[in-house]
Amino acid sequence: MTRRGRRLSLLSAAVAAVAAGVSLVALAAGGGRGSVAPVAGAGPAAGGPTLAPPAEPALDVPQPEPLRTSRFDSTWAAVKSAAPVRAAARTGAEIISRLGPRTPEGTTNIVLALDRVEDAEGSLWIKVRVPALPENVAGWVPRWALGGYGVVRTRLVVDLSDRRLTLFRSGEAVFRAPVGIGTAQFPTPTGDFYVRNKLSRYRNAFYGPLAFGTSARSTTLTDWPAGGFVGIHGTNQPGLIPGRVSHGCVRLRNEAIVRLARLLPIGTPLRVRA
Amino acid sequence: MSLSDFTDLRLADLDRDGALREAADNLERTSRAGFFAAAAGGMAAAVALGRPQAAGAALAKSDVAILNYALTLEYLQDAFYTEAQRKGALSGAAARLARVVGAVERAHVKALRDTLGKQAVKRPFFDFRGVTEAPERFTRTAVAFEDLGTAAYKGQAHRIKSPQVLAAAVAIHSVEARHAAWIRYIAGVLPAVEPFDEPKSAKETLQLVRTTRFVVGRPRTRSRRRPRFTG
Repeated sequence: MTRRGRRLSLLSAAVAAVAAGVSLVALAAGGGRGSVAPVAGAGPAAGGPTLAPPAEPALDVPQPEPLRTSRFDSTWAAVKSAAPVRAAARTGAEIISRLGPRTPEGTTNIVLALDRVEDAEGSLWIKVRVPALPENVAGWVPRWALGGYGVVRTRLVVDLSDRRLTLFRSGEAVFRAPVGIGTAQFPTPTGDFYVRNKLSRYRNAFYGPLAFGTSARSTTLTDWPAGGFVGIHGTNQPGLIPGRVSHGCVRLRNEAIVRLARLLPIGTPLRVRA
Repeated sequence: MSLSDFTDLRLADLDRDGALREAADNLERTSRAGFFAAAAGGMAAAVALGRPQAAGAALAKSDVAILNYALTLEYLQDAFYTEAQRKGALSGAAARLARVVGAVERAHVKALRDTLGKQAVKRPFFDFRGVTEAPERFTRTAVAFEDLGTAAYKGQAHRIKSPQVLAAAVAIHSVEARHAAWIRYIAGVLPAVEPFDEPKSAKETLQLVRTTRFVVGRPRTRSRRRPRFTG
């Protein structure tokens, strides 16, 4: 075959393919809802194949909804690797505390993530609230020291003067209970902390059936075993609540701590105010 | 493009919640079960699902496994875009994509969970290791995620027994493909240069996800240890 012949042959094949494609499109369009009018001779009425309507999907996919964020959202992060906490977001800045991956109770250590910044080298730093003395310590750790993030919309407030604990969810009070707090000699520390673990099924009536560990530490019992952390727990002396009765911990009656446990997620910020 | 091109990956098996393992095992088990059921001439392993308008309100176990596999991947995408949006480190087109695609992936998760009901796999815990907070790494990882999601849906199409599940999977698949094209455009990568898209098997897909180390064990925040608080 000559070059011209080959060209003509290819052209014919291309025209045939386009024609077949047009027919298919027309056939498909004729079968669709709200489609253009079928091309004469191409639709089912003209004896072409009858295509079944599409199957109804097995899923009801809802309309996408925007992410609901709120000013009450707080982010916590697991501590993945031991790391120094620095006063500024740069290597070489003053070390103000140190973080480890475990709490004295053997649970994963967590911190509240407050802010983030990228340094001149492009490394990420996260500002975190840490369980250290003095109260309200916040500093910077490299992002690699932290694991995944969690988000809570709850906030716990302990009012020492009212001897009352209140749990807020999305800004609304959802739980209130009277509490026992530290004596004048061993006061409950004031400031901003967070709830970092939950202990249960231990056998010690003094702490009641449940105890929450917090990042708050006693400023007077600094040599207490395991670092003198302040807990929120039950009691075997409910008659002393409310009152100034503890070594700094926040004590609730047992029925109250059990109810609180159903509502309080780990990572919830805690504010103790005078 | 693959995930390993974009993230600082190491082949580590940090699937401590077992979410990926569970998805892979279910698919493998139902593959074998499906074969034996077919050989016996029946679909005895049908289970009822919550959606009455689904065909006969019943789906084969293998379809449940495939939906759970899809749910696992949707959890990953949902968490990725949602965290990116929460962290607020993105701007411009990437931020818009995270906002729009994140909402769509959350809708996919809801649909799959509603359909699977109690049979839905648990949401794993994720550690994106800063990728959601660094625009460049976010964009490149999103390209890989969307390509992977599209290939993963395609890889299961031939195994789906119910026409209704297939219709749903195809409907989601094309949306994932649009996401892939969109993020590729943002990343400056041509959206469609290959004439034929290759599917990915569940094994390949889950292995790739595993290598990212984005799926991690849930932090252990409960203990039975005796408290040593100040009291």
